[in-house]
Amino acid sequence: MKVVGARIPRYDGVAHVTGRTTYVDDVRVPGTLWAKALRSPHHHAGIKSIDTRPAEEMEGVRAVVTHEDVPLNVYGHLSALGIPADEPLLAEGDVRYLGQPIALVAADDEDLAAEAVSRIEIEFEERPALLDVRKAFDADAPVIHQWGNWYPHFEAEMDRRQIRKGDVAAAFEQADVIVQGAYRPAAIEHAPIETQVCQVVPEPSGRLTIYSCTQALYFSMGVVAAHLQCSLNKLKFVGGTTGGGFGGKVDTATETMCCLLALRSGRPVKWRWTREEEFLCSSTRAPWHMEVADAVTSDGWILGRKMLTLHDAGAYARFSPYGLTKHSFHHTGAYSIPNLEFDGYVVFTNRSPTSAMRGFGVTSVSFATETQVSRIADVLGLDPIEIRLKNANRIGDTSPNGVVYTDPSTVSTLQALAESTGVELSAEYRTMTSEPRTGEWLPEHLVPQLGNPEEH
Amino acid sequence: MNISVNGVAYETESSPLTPLLDVLREELGITSPKAGCHQGGCGACTVLVDGEARRSCILPAAYADGAEITTVEGLGAPEQLSTVQQAFVHHYAAQCGFCTSGMLLAAQAYLNHGGTDDPSGIQEALGGHVCRCTGYLKIVDAVAAAARGELFDLTTTAVGKYTTLTGGGVE
Amino acid sequence: MAKHRGRGIAAIEYPTGMNQNGDPSQAWIKVKPDGRVDVFSGTADIGNGSKTIQTQIVAETIGVPYDWVTYDNSNTDSSPMCTGTFASRATFVAGKAVFKAAEQVKQRILEIAGKELEIGVDDLEIVDGEVVAKGAPQTTMSVADVAGAATFVHGELITGTGAQLKPYAAIEDPATGTVDSPPHSAISYATCAAEVEVDDETGEVRVLGLRQCYDVGRALNPTQVEGQIEGGAIMGLGLGVLEDCYPYYPEVDHRGASFGSYLAPAMEDLPQIETILIENPSADGPFGAKGIGEMANNPQPPAIAAAVHDAVGVWITELPITPERVLRALEDKREPRREGKKVVFDEALSVNSVSSGGMRFEVPA
Repeated sequence: MKVVGARIPRYDGVAHVTGRTTYVDDVRVPGTLWAKALRSPHHHAGIKSIDTRPAEEMEGVRAVVTHEDVPLNVYGHLSALGIPADEPLLAEGDVRYLGQPIALVAADDEDLAAEAVSRIEIEFEERPALLDVRKAFDADAPVIHQWGNWYPHFEAEMDRRQIRKGDVAAAFEQADVIVQGAYRPAAIEHAPIETQVCQVVPEPSGRLTIYSCTQALYFSMGVVAAHLQCSLNKLKFVGGTTGGGFGGKVDTATETMCCLLALRSGRPVKWRWTREEEFLCSSTRAPWHMEVADAVTSDGWILGRKMLTLHDAGAYARFSPYGLTKHSFHHTGAYSIPNLEFDGYVVFTNRSPTSAMRGFGVTSVSFATETQVSRIADVLGLDPIEIRLKNANRIGDTSPNGVVYTDPSTVSTLQALAESTGVELSAEYRTMTSEPRTGEWLPEHLVPQLGNPEEH
Repeated sequence: MNISVNGVAYETESSPLTPLLDVLREELGITSPKAGCHQGGCGACTVLVDGEARRSCILPAAYADGAEITTVEGLGAPEQLSTVQQAFVHHYAAQCGFCTSGMLLAAQAYLNHGGTDDPSGIQEALGGHVCRCTGYLKIVDAVAAAARGELFDLTTTAVGKYTTLTGGGVE
Repeated sequence: MAKHRGRGIAAIEYPTGMNQNGDPSQAWIKVKPDGRVDVFSGTADIGNGSKTIQTQIVAETIGVPYDWVTYDNSNTDSSPMCTGTFASRATFVAGKAVFKAAEQVKQRILEIAGKELEIGVDDLEIVDGEVVAKGAPQTTMSVADVAGAATFVHGELITGTGAQLKPYAAIEDPATGTVDSPPHSAISYATCAAEVEVDDETGEVRVLGLRQCYDVGRALNPTQVEGQIEGGAIMGLGLGVLEDCYPYYPEVDHRGASFGSYLAPAMEDLPQIETILIENPSADGPFGAKGIGEMANNPQPPAIAAAVHDAVGVWITELPITPERVLRALEDKREPRREGKKVVFDEALSVNSVSSGGMRFEVPA
C-alpha cells in the first residue's frame, strides 16, 4: 500500500499554519447582526411573565424571539432512537438550569444586543432545585421534570436500563470475598478553543445558509428542520471545519435560534458564544455515580458483578438514555464476568444538560471497572496485570448484552504493556492468547456464558 | 490609529480601547488571530507587536498605534513557509488548527529571542497557550526541531520517536 | 513531608460506531476529464483528521496519487449525509462509505480501460494513476487518458457512490439487555500504565508518565493516530486530576468561567508519553481500521487512581483527584469496612448514606 498506512501530512495542514483555514467566525457577510441570549439566572424557576417589548423598541434591535416564535419548540434530537422530546429550544413556562436560553435578540452590534437583553422584563418564581442524584428518588425530593426525576421511557416503558445475566445471587454466595466501592467522576467541559458559533444568511431564494461549527452537518440540519417544520432543502449547512468539538458541538445549540432571528429580521445573524457562556452554560460531560460490588474468588476470578449507576443528565434528557445504554453494554470492560445485575438510571438535576463527550458512557464505566479491579488485586494480594489477564475477554466469551467477542485484544494489549514496562509475567500469563478458554482456564463458572463466534 | 500589519499600513477607525484582536478581525478583516476567550486566557489571539508576543484580545488598540503587527500570514505563505510553519506541518502540531496561529507566533517570538530546543524552555515560553486537541507533545517537538534549524520534508510527517508499531504496519 | 511515587494500570475497551448502529454515512465521487478525483463526504473534521484519512482511503482504493484527490465536506448541498463525527466512526463508518464509492470508481476506470486496451478487467490493476496490465507492465493507460476517453469518446461521467449502514441493533429483551445483533462496528482495546508522584504535604498529584498500548486495527495514518492518543492522554489526565465543572458537586457554586479558574491541562502538565500501537485488523473496517478518537481519554483516570494508591495508600474514587481530596484521604486514613467476606469501600459516598431511602444499593450475602 502506498497511501494508507503512510504518514501523510494533514490535508489542511498548510492552511492551518498560514491562517487560511476558515472557521465559522471568519466568515464575513455584510449587514450581519449580532445575537445575544437572555438566560436563566436561576437553577429552577417558573416564568410568571415576560415582556420583550422594551428590547424590541430599542433602536438597532432588529429581532427578538421567544418560544412563541418557534414552530416546533419541543423536539427530541434522538426521537429516531425512541427517546421522546422533553427539552424546549427556548424556555416555555419554566427554567430548569442556570443559563437556560429564554429569548434571543439580534441587533446591529454586540454591545447593543447585550443591552437589549438586559431590558427584557421577566418575572420568575423560584422553585427548589434538585442537585444530588442520590436524593432524586426520595419522597421529599422536589420534582423537577414532567416525567418525574428520572427518565421513564426505556423499552417497555422501563424506568431504568437493566442488564441481567446468569445468577448473581449464586455468584455472591460462592465468592470468597466481595469488594464494593463507589465511583464518582466529575462533569468536565469540552472546552474547545473555538466556542459555539453560528452565522445564518437568509438567501433571496428563501433558503437559509447556515454556517455552523457542528460536528454533524446533517444531524444538525435535521434538528433545525424539525424545529422550523421545514424540508431539508430549505436549509444549506456550510461547515465541516470545526475548531475542536469532543462531543460538545452536536447539541445544535445555536443554529435554530439564528435561523429564527434571520427569518424575523431578514438579515444575516451571527451568534458567537463568549468563553463565559461556553464554561457556564454549555453542555458538559455528565457526572456519574456508580456503585459496584464484585464477587471474587481468592485466586482472582470475578464471578459476578452487581452495579448501580445514577447518571446525572442535568435538566433534560438530551442524549443521556443513549449514553447510559452504551455504558451498560460495557460495564464489564475488558473482562468476561458471567453473572451480572446492572441497573442504571438517567436522573434529572437542575444543572446544564449533560451531553456527549469523548468516550460518552464508557469513560465513566471504565473508571469504575478499572479502579475496582485494581482494588480487588490489592485486597487479594494479586498482581494487577495477571488478575486482568485471568478475567480477560477471550474469543467466544459474551458481553453483558449477549454479544460474542470474536476478536478481543485484552490479552495482547496487557502483555505488550507488561513487556514495555519491564514487568515479568509468569509463564502461563506470558504465553496466554485470546483463543477460547480451555482446561483450567475454563472454570465451571465461565462455561455457561460462552457463545459461538461463528454465529457473529 | 496607524498600524502596520505584515508590512501593510492601515489607518483604523475603531475606538482606542477596542481590543486589537477586534480591530484586526472585524475592522481589517484579518481573521487569522482567533477569538478563543476574549479573556487573555488561551493565547489563540496572540500576535507579534514590534516583535513581542502579545495577547491581542486584551491589548487596547491604542497600544498598537504606530506599531508593526505580525500575524501568521506574515511568517510565510503556502509557497514559502517559514521554518516554524514547516515544523508544525511536518510534526503534525496542528489538529483542529484553532490555537495554531497564536501558538506559531509565540513560538516565533521564542525563537527570535534565542530559544533553544530544550523542552522545558519551550514549555515555559508557550505554557500559557491552551490546546485541547494535540496534547502539546507534537507542538513541543515541532518548536524544538525548528530551534535546531532542521530541514523538513513536507511530503511526510515525523515518526513519533516514542511509538512502537507491532503487527501489520505499513507494507 | 515527602513525595511518593506510584504506578497503576488500566485495561479498557471501546466500541466503534454509534451505539446500536443505525448511523448511516454516505459519499460520492466524480472523476474529472484529466483523471483527477473529487470526493464529496458529509463528515465534519473536528481536528481528528477525517479529511486526510478519507482522502487517503480514496487514493489508495482507486490507485491514484494522494494529491490527485480533492475532498469536499463543506456543505449539505453537494455532500451526502453523514450522521456525524462522534462515536469514533469517522474512520470506520464514514471511511467505509468513501471506500465503497472509490471501489465503484476503480471498477469503472478498469472497465473503460479494458475496452480501450482490449484486456479483461480482471487482468488490469491501477498503480500510481496508471492502469497496468498484470504481468505485462509495458501495457498501460493513464487514468487521465481513461477519464478523457470517458468524457469525449464514451459520453460518460465516471462516478461512484457509497453508503455504509449497519442495521439498528434492537434490544430484544429489556429485562436482560440482550441485543439482536452486535450494536457496534468493532471494538478497540487499550491499556495504560501511569506513573505519578504525590506530595503528601500539598496533596498535589503530578502525572510523570503515561505508557499506553492501543490496538487500533490498522493505523491508516500512524502520525494522526499518535495525535489522537497524545491528545486523549492529556484530556484523560485532565479528567483524572485537574478538571471539574462543579468543584463543590453536587452544588453548582464556583463553576469556573475562564481558563484560569477551569483547569484545562497546560503544557506544564505534560508527562512522558510512550505509545505502543498494535494492529489487529477489524473484520470489515476500511483496510482493517477500528476507531481511536474517543477511547483515547478513557484509560488514564483509573490508572492514575491506582497509581495514587500505590504511592500513598489511599483510594480516591471521586474525580478529579485534587490536592484537597488527597490530603483529606491521608488525614482520614479510612479503611474499608470488613464484615464477613465483604470489603466495603466509600460508604460515605454511597446512596445508602445520602438518600432518605428512595434509592439503595443492596449487595447480596
